[in-house]
Amino acid sequence: MASYPQNFRFGEFVGSLIWLIFWVLIIVALVGLPLIFIVLFYVPLPPVGDQVLTPYLFLTSILYPQSAIPVIKTLMGTDLFRVAMFPGFTYAALIAAVTIFIERKFLAKMQLRVGPLYAGKIEGILQLIADGLKLISKEIIVPSGADKLMFWAAPIAFVSTAAAVVALIPAAPGYVVADVDVGLLAVFAILGFFPLIALLFSWASNSKYPFIGGLRALHQMIAFEIPFILSALSVVILSGTLNLTGIVDSQLQSYWFIFFLPISAFVFYISSLAELERIPFDLPEAESEIVAGWLTETSGMIYGLLQLGSYVKTYALAALFVILFLGGWAGPMVFPAEIHTPIVNISPIYDQEAANGSLWFTLKTFGVIMLMLLPRGISPRIRMDILLHTGWYKLIVLAFINIFVALALIYGGILGPGGLLVR
Amino acid sequence: MAGETAADFAPILYMLGFGLLASVPALILSRLVSPRRRYNPVKFLPMECGQMPTGEGRSHFMMQYYAYILMFVVFDVMSIFLYAWGTALFNIPRAATLPIIGFLGIMFAAMGYALYLAGRKGIW
Repeated sequence: MASYPQNFRFGEFVGSLIWLIFWVLIIVALVGLPLIFIVLFYVPLPPVGDQVLTPYLFLTSILYPQSAIPVIKTLMGTDLFRVAMFPGFTYAALIAAVTIFIERKFLAKMQLRVGPLYAGKIEGILQLIADGLKLISKEIIVPSGADKLMFWAAPIAFVSTAAAVVALIPAAPGYVVADVDVGLLAVFAILGFFPLIALLFSWASNSKYPFIGGLRALHQMIAFEIPFILSALSVVILSGTLNLTGIVDSQLQSYWFIFFLPISAFVFYISSLAELERIPFDLPEAESEIVAGWLTETSGMIYGLLQLGSYVKTYALAALFVILFLGGWAGPMVFPAEIHTPIVNISPIYDQEAANGSLWFTLKTFGVIMLMLLPRGISPRIRMDILLHTGWYKLIVLAFINIFVALALIYGGILGPGGLLVR
Repeated sequence: MAGETAADFAPILYMLGFGLLASVPALILSRLVSPRRRYNPVKFLPMECGQMPTGEGRSHFMMQYYAYILMFVVFDVMSIFLYAWGTALFNIPRAATLPIIGFLGIMFAAMGYALYLAGRKGIW
């Protein structure tokens, strides 16, 4: 039951909001706009195409949207667009948000529940916004004796590190934030930070259960890091490059690697579940054993940021699976070569390849994400020693099987330069 | 490609910075909006399911499965070393694979012995 303050009047609440908006408008008009124009008087403005980028251009583009197209085209070529929008943060955060919603409804359907239902007219579709507002308005409790700096820094570091993994993922031909030669190794290097952040946070929060959870995160990394790395090695042998775009290109020239390396794909999937701390490998946050593991002392927005980071990480690992085994953005062309829109002609910024690639990439990524959500509805948690046993005795051996399969494919002249199945 | 410079990795740092830009305001906004009531010191005790917490939060602990951690240090380096070979596979002669197979054999024997020792009780 929600409770209102005693003297609450809705009219007064709305009135106070209107007063607030009024004062903000007054201050912006009297102080903000003059400041902007004074600054713009001294700052040289960048030319875009054949015109100079001024605030007036934005006002013009409200009436004539066509004039904004070259500006958008120029912006889309910059690093800022890539970092902030498409293969970068906003895209990953959107996919993370959709994943959270899908996870709830999907698990509810699997367990014959209805899931979130009330926020939003259709199937509780606004539940995520409601949850966000709840998390942001909750008090953050820092436990006594906690290392305050680490306690506040760890969630930020978690989100930023997850974003740094996303930077290496190409989402469409040419759309990648950081196109480095050693992309795959860089992904592994950045993923290695997550257990350390968990351990730091658990040590900082000065409590028993988080500490146990942090140590478990460490053990989990030890058990599953090597199968994780070795399962991707067979892909590298087949494609001959560590660049993720190059790996996708080599699959476009032959077939998806999952047909040649199904065992590697399986090992990669299992170890990425462990890397993500999802059921059945959610020992670091086992809620029925050690309260909530390393998340025990989190509250409010700290918990929200850690959740956001872990779902962004889910996207990154699902996308990595798609790139390594499912052919990245490969797929039949569904977009027309030219597009005609009624009011604004968007053909200068329309890229058929990129649109098609990002569509198939997103669809495949969601497929893999659904596959990653599936064990949560059907599987119990496994024990610590069984986890280590699985990682060291079984998955490493399985990963080596496909390394030898890959070697045989290369030396048998089936794949590789001039191979039988290379188109 | 003719190698790469450290500047090629700068976009990863941009992305890291954007993650900071996105998450720090969320915490600040939450700090501004949320209530802060400090009259109840019990609230700030570490979580113990409603009981008064006993013992220390950070204590000495028994590092279980220590053998696996020692193995990890060795075999993680091995698996990364194999990447150097896997990347260059198209450019090296076929005979160069034999030493790698020998290396793998040595590492497998070592891993088998280490796993046998890790499974033994009473020595760790």
